[in-house]
Amino acid sequence: MSSRKSLIKIKPKSYKDGEIVKVSFMVMHPMETGMRKDKKTKEVIPAKYINSVKFDYNGKVITTMNVWESLSTNPVFTTYMKVNGAGKLSVTFSDSTGEVHEKSIKIKPKG
Amino acid sequence: MLFQQNKDKQMQRRDFFKQLGAVAAVAAITPAISFADEAKKLTGPNEFSYKAAVDAITGGKGAEESSKINLKVPEIAENGAVVPITVEVESPMTDNDYVKSIHILATKNANTRCIDVHLTPANGKAMFATRIKLGGTQDVATVVALSDGTFLTATQNVKVTIGGCG
Repeated sequence: MSSRKSLIKIKPKSYKDGEIVKVSFMVMHPMETGMRKDKKTKEVIPAKYINSVKFDYNGKVITTMNVWESLSTNPVFTTYMKVNGAGKLSVTFSDSTGEVHEKSIKIKPKG
Repeated sequence: MLFQQNKDKQMQRRDFFKQLGAVAAVAAITPAISFADEAKKLTGPNEFSYKAAVDAITGGKGAEESSKINLKVPEIAENGAVVPITVEVESPMTDNDYVKSIHILATKNANTRCIDVHLTPANGKAMFATRIKLGGTQDVATVVALSDGTFLTATQNVKVTIGGCG
């Protein structure tokens, strides 16, 4: 499991059970297309990009994504989620070189 | 004969300066990062063309233009490396009626397909936002798959100003 810098943001920060909140997952990742050449060595910089993302909420998969190299460096993935009880939201991604990364946060509805 | 030779020499000189000008122009606008190189590659012949992508997503059925889709992408993108895009679809997102997937396509990138987002009713709202790389000015398209088996689409042209002096 990689130790990349990543972040999950929930908007609004304070939410009730049943509310639909915005979820953003951001990660520092090169999203290297494999089409660039190193200016000095003239060699092609090998491709390395996130190709799969999964959102789990309390053990249930709520969103999955197939990703290609056209996403910007340090990608952000934003969607919505219906709050359904306290628990854990986990985001897992794997990339084209086999790297796997997971980030989770606690879901704590107020009221 | 002399006249012709002079003319040829003139043409050669003109071509030479033209080429020099072209190189200088490219050198002037190519930023320190190699994004310009990447950009040129990104607008090459499609490895995964737009039509092939839509066929793959819709199983050959094709998608219908729909105002239910709100595709938000800038008309002019100053930096083609980071173009924000949001797709929102009107949908109750219930078990019987929801958006199954949102697909984003950059019609002139070397690889048209940017991302497929598979949603579930647990998402509550049909929306996805991210940032994509665009190799040059092109139409950006979204194809949306609904739970009833139909496909919707929306497109918008994005002008990309790569590098440049302002």
